[in-house]
Amino acid sequence: MSHAESHDSHHSHGPDHVPHVTPLPVYLATFGTLCVLTVVTVGASYINLGTTVNLFIALIIATIKATVVALFFMHLKSDLRFHSVVFGSSVVFLIIFISFTMFDTNVRGQFEPQKRHRPAIMTDPFAAPSAPTATPSAAAAPAGSAPAGSQAPAHP
Amino acid sequence: MMSASTEAAQEKGSPDFVVAHHFDKADTQFDAGRLGIWLFLVTEILFFGGLFCAFFIYRGWYFDSFVEAHHHLDKKMGALNTVFLITSSLTMALGVRSAQRSARKETVGFLLATVLLACAFLVVKYFEYTHKIHDGLLPGAMFHAQGFTTQHPGVFYAIYFVMTGIHGLHVVIGIGLILWILIRAQKGEFSSRYYAPVEGVGLYWHLVDLIWIYLFPLLYLVG
Repeated sequence: MSHAESHDSHHSHGPDHVPHVTPLPVYLATFGTLCVLTVVTVGASYINLGTTVNLFIALIIATIKATVVALFFMHLKSDLRFHSVVFGSSVVFLIIFISFTMFDTNVRGQFEPQKRHRPAIMTDPFAAPSAPTATPSAAAAPAGSAPAGSQAPAHP
Repeated sequence: MMSASTEAAQEKGSPDFVVAHHFDKADTQFDAGRLGIWLFLVTEILFFGGLFCAFFIYRGWYFDSFVEAHHHLDKKMGALNTVFLITSSLTMALGVRSAQRSARKETVGFLLATVLLACAFLVVKYFEYTHKIHDGLLPGAMFHAQGFTTQHPGVFYAIYFVMTGIHGLHVVIGIGLILWILIRAQKGEFSSRYYAPVEGVGLYWHLVDLIWIYLFPLLYLVG
């Protein structure tokens, strides 16, 4: 195949597969990087910067390590670009999966108390919360035992 | 022409290797196989992704319990296992490299080293598990550890056992796969012309390492 997209020059060698052999120092350097980053991530865990900061430091270091493994040990750097796209797509969907779940589970129960004290006015949702007028009606609503959901949006 | 190429094949190794008739050449066949392995790895990532998602959900809900419970994991054991796994990833990568260079003895040696490091990982895991089972940290109704100041330490250990257990299962399966290609390598089936199984198992093994790279800090270091 003499297509321009050939990722390596070895495609012109005929029908036999000629492997792309990564030089030994690349593997050793990758291994060295992984060892150093392991020491760094363990060391960083002893420094207390707040749990969220520590979590993000650990995740960033882990992601650097994972990238190094994927690029050199798993040959993504010299392999067809399409394999990187396949791998990357799983990472993208994983991030969507976990972060969108966090948008839900991490804030559950935080909205209901606010909604009780300050019910949304569907006809004018951006109105400034005029506390003196809103509070009596909100306080009256539970007592009136939900008159067909006319004022507050219906609860599930 | 035909006999000449067969002769060359004998000389180069992998005498039984053929390019299937629906592939135009060996490179296409290699790339098709690699793509298949990568697609399999994607399903593995999404499979573990569900477990990581569970970890983050319960970490958000029972944050104090997670922080308290993770202090009972031994960082040194985890770090030792990290070193075992990344070293085994190196020996696996070198094993694939040896197969690419038709160095049969080297390939067998590196694969054997990978198996031994994987076994070392499992031995450390065995000591960690027996210690935790002794302390009564097993999930669900089996959890009977005392002395925690927070309400839900059991949830952390349930996730710990499930995630490291399924990862450990992958290590066991990996050992089986590496032994399989080790025997095939010993028989001289692999060479620079044909080493796809070595590379495929290698990619799987690196993924097992890659998952541990995330498991170790999340469970042992930050909790």
